[in-house]
Formats: sequence, structure tokens, C-alpha cells
Amino acid sequence: MKNLLSASSQNMPRFGPALLQFLVLGLFLLFAVRLWYLQIHLGPVFTEKSRNNQLRIEYLFAPRGFLRDRNGELLAVNEPAFALGLVREDCDDIPATLGKVAELSGIPLERLKEVYARNKPKVKSFEPLVLVPDMNFDTIAKVEGVAVRWPGLEILSRTRRKYNYGHLLSHVLGYVSEASEAEMQADPSLSLGDFVGKQGLENRLDARLRGAKGKRLIEVDVTGRRLSEEQQGEPKAGEEIFLSLDLGLQQLGHKLLEGKSGAVVVMDPDNGEVHALVSEPSYDSNMFTTGLSSAQWAALRDDPLHPLQNRATQSVYPPGSVFKLVTAAAGLHEGLIDPSETVNCSGELALGNHVFRCWKHSGHGSVNLQRALVESCDVYFYKLGMKLGVDRMSAFAKAAGFGAPTGIDLPHEKGGLIASKDWKLKRFGVRWTKGEDLNMSIGQGYTVVSPLQVARYISALLNGGKLLKPSLIRGETPQVTSQLPLTPEQAAIIKRNMVATVEDPRGTCRRVLTPGVMVGAKTGSAQVVRLTEELRRMGDSVPYKYRDHAWMAGFGEQGGKRFVIVAMMEHGMHGTAAGPIVKAMINALFMGKRELPPKDLEGAERPPDVAARLDTVETQFPEPPAPEVPAAGAAAPAQEAPAQ
Amino acid sequence: MSPIDRRMFYHVNWRLVCVLTALFGIGVLNLYSASGVRLGDGVQMENFYQKQLIWGAIGLAGMAAFMSFDYRRLNTVAWPLYAMTIVLLLAVPLAGKTVLGARRWLDFGLFSFQPSELAKFSVLLLGARMLSGSSERLNMREFFAVLGLGALPALLIIKQPDLGTGMLVLLLLGGLVLYRGIVPWLFRTLCVLVPLITPLFWFVLKDYQKRRILAFLDPATDPLGSGYHIMQSEIAVGSGRVFGKGFLAGTQSQLRFLPEKHTDFAVAVFGEEWGFFGMIVLLSLFCGYLYQIAVVARDAKDPYGSFLAAGVFFYFFWQILINMGMVMGLMPVVGVPLPFVSYGGSATLVNFSLVGLVLNVSMRRYLFKQT
Repeated sequence: MKNLLSASSQNMPRFGPALLQFLVLGLFLLFAVRLWYLQIHLGPVFTEKSRNNQLRIEYLFAPRGFLRDRNGELLAVNEPAFALGLVREDCDDIPATLGKVAELSGIPLERLKEVYARNKPKVKSFEPLVLVPDMNFDTIAKVEGVAVRWPGLEILSRTRRKYNYGHLLSHVLGYVSEASEAEMQADPSLSLGDFVGKQGLENRLDARLRGAKGKRLIEVDVTGRRLSEEQQGEPKAGEEIFLSLDLGLQQLGHKLLEGKSGAVVVMDPDNGEVHALVSEPSYDSNMFTTGLSSAQWAALRDDPLHPLQNRATQSVYPPGSVFKLVTAAAGLHEGLIDPSETVNCSGELALGNHVFRCWKHSGHGSVNLQRALVESCDVYFYKLGMKLGVDRMSAFAKAAGFGAPTGIDLPHEKGGLIASKDWKLKRFGVRWTKGEDLNMSIGQGYTVVSPLQVARYISALLNGGKLLKPSLIRGETPQVTSQLPLTPEQAAIIKRNMVATVEDPRGTCRRVLTPGVMVGAKTGSAQVVRLTEELRRMGDSVPYKYRDHAWMAGFGEQGGKRFVIVAMMEHGMHGTAAGPIVKAMINALFMGKRELPPKDLEGAERPPDVAARLDTVETQFPEPPAPEVPAAGAAAPAQEAPAQ
Repeated sequence: MSPIDRRMFYHVNWRLVCVLTALFGIGVLNLYSASGVRLGDGVQMENFYQKQLIWGAIGLAGMAAFMSFDYRRLNTVAWPLYAMTIVLLLAVPLAGKTVLGARRWLDFGLFSFQPSELAKFSVLLLGARMLSGSSERLNMREFFAVLGLGALPALLIIKQPDLGTGMLVLLLLGGLVLYRGIVPWLFRTLCVLVPLITPLFWFVLKDYQKRRILAFLDPATDPLGSGYHIMQSEIAVGSGRVFGKGFLAGTQSQLRFLPEKHTDFAVAVFGEEWGFFGMIVLLSLFCGYLYQIAVVARDAKDPYGSFLAAGVFFYFFWQILINMGMVMGLMPVVGVPLPFVSYGGSATLVNFSLVGLVLNVSMRRYLFKQT
């Protein structure tokens, strides 16, 4: 009610009161709308954010499953390790503290700064940021001594994978190391600092070994202080796995190959279990769990001997005469040979204007299949190869498991190569020549195989034609991937001839003859380069890198127990160089002898120098064959390809 | 004229008193909740709500004191008070004590005193006096006279630095100018010029003030500084949803994610625990409170009383707008408390006293024969 009696009422503001009421209304509308937007419209979003503030999930780590060999020997375990962490919130001078850590740990300050900068966005200020993932006791003692004066530094205990035989099993076990950014993206259960299997079985069996983390829901206040916690699932320890490997055999294999490059595979032909899978040179898996410096990594990666390479599964080599077991079986399968039928070997075979020689220049005379295998007569197989032709050889080789990975539980397995007419035309644009049939028949040319593939094929010859997936886990149900296209009788012929190769006085594998054990075998020496006359004249003094790869594929059988053994030595010169390895394995497997053979039986001596071996690495994995591989292409080999 | 005529008592705006009581009650209740800090082994209470109650009692005394005399007498002290304020403000940089990097306090031994608090009051009195002289719209000369009157103390306060209070002084005066009205061409000119000139103030802002504004525009640029305040405040209010998390059950406040939860961000605690429903009730109370002050301004006996009430209206209006706007993420972080909800001793005393002034105007809105 306006007071009209007021003397000064005419001076009353005219619009002011309306303005005030308008402002009140505006204030109400503005905030009411904003509140509706925040609390009703975005309410669920903010509720979630408020929960994220308040609740923190803490993971309880599950111990990684142990790995044991088939006899229960511990191969991979977990051991306590101590890391140095920095809690940023408690640290008053981070640059100075980093400097101190560099001084204590001996890690360059730049590296620590890099680690700090990389992890800072990922680690909350009250959580420890790991600066040194693994400290030795010396460093721990030093840190303990000064910890009081450096607030924020914290020694964290965690577990670390420990490989008891780091060098003996690195190619099979592989290693674990900290999960990468990409792995954490792909798997939400992984968090910073978790270890995952990166290579070998650690990688392939990761899901079983890792177990499951326990989860704990923690209510925290703004400082990160724990107010309450609620357990939401116990950690489930990773599975303990017994491997099919036999540590003793593995150890023996490494000793036999010491100082050389090569591979040894021991396989049970009846269930596919691999008892030894050896590759030399080797590396220590433990290097990776403690955090490899980039210099160390570069040294391993660039080592001319390729220690990271698993030569049993990831390297492929020309099989040489070992392939005659395939050519012979293909001949039997196609019905092109009669085991009793003889072929005359005059020491050479002329095709067109080229002469293909047998390794025995004087010739073998009249040879049947058995003699051809026992004495490794090249001419017999040249003739068989001509009859079969590339495509039939190739089809059988593929059916025998060559040219494709065996499916073993190891990453990055190579399948090798089995050539065919079509393949050559596509790859080189040139037609297949008849001469190449001959080369292929004795395991030269484009063909490359892995030692494991050979072991698998020999197993199939023994076990009734089953091509098994090689298994690294004890007691795993055997998996038959395919059937060898051979009748039991045909397989038996090959097997019998392999035994004859050992037992016959003229047999090339006579040195693996073991009393009381039925042993069958076949040697192979695979040419790395086409031997020139000059090199040939040098005989045993041919430079290391030009020497042939030495193969021996065999088996032993005694009282229902049988094993396939394949040994392959890079640049071993003759098939005979692989012989002592097979012999020592047979002794260990059947005679209970695990001692090393005398030194003089060990084939070629250690290479003169690394530089000479350096060039060999290119020739190790010919895929397609490197120019050095003999018998390549239309140019046709001027010389025969001897093999024994 | 005796200071208090019994008849006047009937003319006191009781609605305003009721709304004030409700607001203060809610404020203390909310402070009780905001005083709690949950630790591992229970809740630790701080005593802000008790102090606030004591200050409320002191405020009641201040309110009574401000009702006890005829407000028209203030007319005579407006200029001397203003002059004193300027002197004290000038003394601050010379003799003031530094708290948290800002020189705002004068130390008188027994008590400390912020001249900037006095500045709000003296500008209110002088503004009311100057503007109530005529009902004509303000022309340019008068406008600049009033502007100069406010700008002097405002600049001194901003130099302290205390941007919030300095701005409040100017806004208060600006409100009063609008209440009186300005000539249309000047109004239109100002409508164009003010938005053009305002950005220039960027260059006189301190770094921390710039950061706050940048953080307001994009909280992600400063997630640990004032951007963090805004984010946590929005989370608190937003997570209250329709009916809130319940009294004493706000996790943002109890677990201290919400900063300054008993002072500048106290209303966020309320929003978290009482939800949209509670906030609308609180907002309605504030609007009712402002409306009642506006009613007093409208019904005042004389222009001076009307302008005094309007000045008080703007004093509260701007604080509510700035504080709640800040809590809801509509404004940058400025240290302006929310009347009756934020904890603050002297602010409570001043707030109650100003309500007393408004009640003074309302109870003397009729002319009584002098006895």
C-alpha cells in the first residue's frame, strides 16, 4: 500500500520496485533450470562420478602358476622382489628425490625422469610410482639407510617370475614382462605393473597361468585414506602346469649343441608329447623379468647368432637327404616303386645338357629302395623324383605336415615351404624345370622345413600315420590333425629301411647303433651354397658359413617305449655331425646314460670367428630361398647336388 | 520522536522475519552436516555450527540495534562514514596485516577489522542518500558522480586484492542506479559499452584470478585447482539427484572431496544431501526473502527508506547470485559467501544488522504523529 500521505511520495522510484521483483523471478528461474539440469538431467552422471571419487577398486594379485617339467622339477616360480616407489603426495622435492634415487640405484637420472614423466599421469598422487622395478640387496640397504630423510620413497614388495633354468628353456617358456599400454587397453583386468607372458608358453598359456585377481572395494576420503573395505572375490592362483619336457634331456641337448647353432627335438610318437625342444644359442629368460635396458635388448635382438630365435620351430632349413624319407613314401603311396625293384646308379644322371651327380661319384651300382635309403643314393631318388614330378611330391609332403605350422603351443611358428609348379610361376614368373624335380627329390631346391616338422613326420611313420599336434603339456589329450596317406605296410617299409640305415654295415647312420635298442635314422646334409669346385677341393676346411647344415632324424624303440629324435646343426658339414647328438639322446632315453659323449665325436669344431658366422644368418631362413640355395631356377644347376 | 513506538511493532515485516528464521535454521542444520568429517573410526565433528549459532545471537543484537533508531538519521552520518571508510582503506596497505597473501585487515589490538566490510555499508548509505534526492532518471553527470563515489573504495579494495568484495561494492551501487533508473540513451550506451569494456579488466587481474576464470570456462584446464572446486561442487550437487543422499550422508562433503564445504561451498553440501527437492525449497526461501525486502522497498514511507531497502536487496541479491552460480558451475570461483548458509562470524552479524535496517524501514512506513 502506497503511502500517499508522504510528503516526498512523488520522489519515490517509479520502476525500481518492479525491477526488484523481476530480478527475484529471474533468479528463481535461472537456478531452478540449472538445478534441474544438474540434479535431474545429469544426476546419474554425477552420481557415478561421486561413486568414483569415493570408491576405489584394489586388486589382490594372484600368484602366477608354476611351471614344472614332466618329472615335477620346478622350471618357473615366483620370488619376492623389491621395487622402489615414490609417493608424490609425500615428497616435497621431486627433482632432488629423483637425483637421490639415481645416486642410490646407479640408474641414470635421465632414465628416471623419463620413467617418472611416463607414469605420472597413470598413478595417483598418493599411490607409489615405481621408479626402480627391481632393486638388488645392495640398493635396498642404501635406500633403507636414507629413507627417513627422503619422504615419499617407499620400498614395495612384489613378486617376480624366476626361471630356474633360464638358459635351458627360454625358447620354450619364453618370458613375462610388464604389460604394455596396448595390452592393458585390450584386457581390462590388467593394470599398470602387471606381468603378462610375452613369449613362448608363458604367452600361450597366459590365461591359465595368470589366474584371476581378487577385488576389494575400498571407500576412501579425499586424501586416499581408507575408511572401509569390502572383499569382492578372492584372488585365484594361476594353474600349475606340468610340461612334457624332460629337464635332463633339455640340459643334455644344450650341452651337446654348446657353442654351435642348432636344434634338437625329442618327441613321443604315440602322443605327440615333446620331451626336449632345444635351440642354441640361447638367452636367459630372467633378463626380461627384471626389466631389460634398451641397450641389452638391442644387443639380444641384433646378435648375429640370433639367440632369440627358436631354431626348432621358428627356423626353417633345406632338409637335404632327410627328405628322401618323404620322396620314398610318396613313391610308395603313388605306387611308382616296388621295394624290390632295382635301379642302376652309375654315379651320375644326365638330364638335358646337365649332369646330376650322386654323392658317391663311383656310383652305387644296382640299388633297390632299401639300399638307396641305407646308402642315401642320390641317383635312385633322382629317377624317382622324375617319375613323381613336383606336384605329386609336393602334395605328399604337404600331407606329411610340411609347408605348414605344426600347431605347437608356441608363438611365431614357421611353416617352411614346399614348392609346386604354380607356386614357382607365381613367385618368379618362370616355369618349373625338370631339373628341379631332381633337386626336390633329395631335399634341395626351394624346400625348407623346421626340425619339429621332421620329428612330427617321423612320428607319423611310427604311430600308424597319425600326424599329431606336438604337445608341450604332460598328459594332454593327443590331437590328431591329419592322417598320413600311407598304408601301415608302406610306413613299415620306410621304418624298416631307417633301421637298416643304422644296422647295415654300409649304412650312413651306423654310428647311432645302440645295442639293445632298435634304432632307425636318416642323415641329411643340406647345402647352404652351391659348392664350387674350389670349395669342394677345400674339403673339411670350407669356411664355416659355406658349410652344409647337418641333419639327423631318427627314432629309438625298446620295450614299448619309443622316441623320435631330430637333431639339426647349422653348418655341421656332414649329416654325421648331428649323429653324436642323436646317439647321446638315445643313450639318455634308453640306457639311462646322461653323460656327454667324448669330445672328438662332436662333429665340426667351433667356428673360427663370429664375423664368419655373421653372414650365415641370412641363409638360415630362406623363404623363399636366398640366392645361395642351390638349384635355383631356370638357370639350372651346372653341378649335381650331392647328398649323403 | 521516541526511538520505538509500540505501534511500529505491528508494522514490522513479520514475513521477512519468518523467512529469515527458516533460512538461518536451514543454514545451521546444514553447517552441522558440513562440520562432520568421516575418518576411519567414526565421524569427527568440527564446531562451526555452534559458532554460527553464537554469531546468530550476536546478529540478533545487531538487528535489534539497527531497528532501534529512525533510519532517517543515517542520512546525516552517510558522508562522515564514507570519508572514514576511505581513510581506513587507504590505511590498509600501509598498516594492514597480511593474511594469505592479501592485505585486508587492520589490527586494532583487541580485534581485527576489515575496512572492506565497512565499505559495503557506507557505500549503501551514501548511495541511498545521493540517489533518493529525485525520482527523475539519472542523467550522465549524476551517473558519473555516483560511479566515482563507488569506484574509489572499490578500486582500493580490489588492490588489496579482494576482487569479490570490490565487485560487490560496484554491483551494489549499480543495482541502486538501476533501481532509480537512468536516462534511456545513457542506458543504451551502457548496454553497449559495458560488455565491450569488461574484457579489458582481464589485464588488471592477478594470475590466480585469471586461472579461476579459465578454469570456469574449461574446468579440465586446472583439474587440481579451482577447476577441481567447480567439478567437485557440481558432482556434489548433481549426485544429490531428486531427493538427495540424506542428511549427514553426503559422500562428497563427508569424505572431503568438496572443498570449502562450510564456507563458500556450503550450499553444495545441502544440494548433495537434500537433492533437487531441498534445493528448490531453499531457493524459494531465498526468493521469498528477497521478495519481502523488495516489498519493504516498494512500501517505504520515503525515497531514502526505499533506497536503503533496495540497497540491502542488492547486497543479498548479488551474493546469492554469485555464490549459488559458482556452486552450480555458472560462475567462476569468487570468494563470495552465501548469506545465512555459509559459515562466517562477521558476515552473519552484518547480514542480521542489514535485515534490522530493512525492518526499521518497514516498521516506520507510516507517518506517526510525534509525541
